Amino acid sequence: MLALSRKLNESVVIGGDIEITILEIKGDQVKVGITAPRNQQIYRKEIYEQILKENRQAAEKQDQPQKIEKLLHHQK
Amino acid sequence: MLVKTKYFGEVDLDENKIITFDSGLMGFEEYKKYAILYDKEREKGVISWLQSMDEPELAFPIINPLVVDKNYDPIVNDEYLEGLGDFEDNLLVLLIVTVPEQIEKITANFKAPLIINSATAVGIQVIAENADYKVKQPIYDALRKEEA
Repeated sequence: MLALSRKLNESVVIGGDIEITILEIKGDQVKVGITAPRNQQIYRKEIYEQILKENRQAAEKQDQPQKIEKLLHHQK
Repeated sequence: MLVKTKYFGEVDLDENKIITFDSGLMGFEEYKKYAILYDKEREKGVISWLQSMDEPELAFPIINPLVVDKNYDPIVNDEYLEGLGDFEDNLLVLLIVTVPEQIEKITANFKAPLIINSATAVGIQVIAENADYKVKQPIYDALRKEEA
């Protein structure tokens, strides 16, 4: 990982079209501003990782049609 | 075209049914082409399948959110949807379903809907900003009600 030191209001530029600016430093919290192409999705990593894990779980099961059939049949 | 699928063997599929997810799904970025497969007889159309065109073993169970929550209304950054093209009335919203060992614990991912423009056949998975939408939203009771 590349590590760069930045001060308040300083920025880094990534690939020419993404810019990350340090907007505020308060105790152990840092506020960053991100300028990126409009369609570039930007998320907090914790939530992104939750979705990633959930997608994997949803895809991994082998017997789902049978299970779902059972569920819906059972309800009758 | 003939396509190998995870649950339905080899299926003859119209090429214009193929949906392109330019960014893939989260965690599956390398797979970009999918088709929605229905099995109305077995699942009564409630649950369908997002089948990868590149990897036969990759298929996600999906559901129309309105079946389990008629007020489902994800807040999504409009800019993320620009890649879908002009959608007007052609917007299709679907949720990925997770089926655990205990079927009663079946959940839908309210937090990360699939949004598809059915006119351009382009889709995206986005994260909804709604604070109360869960990655694992239980849907068992709602499914029961739907079928009752």
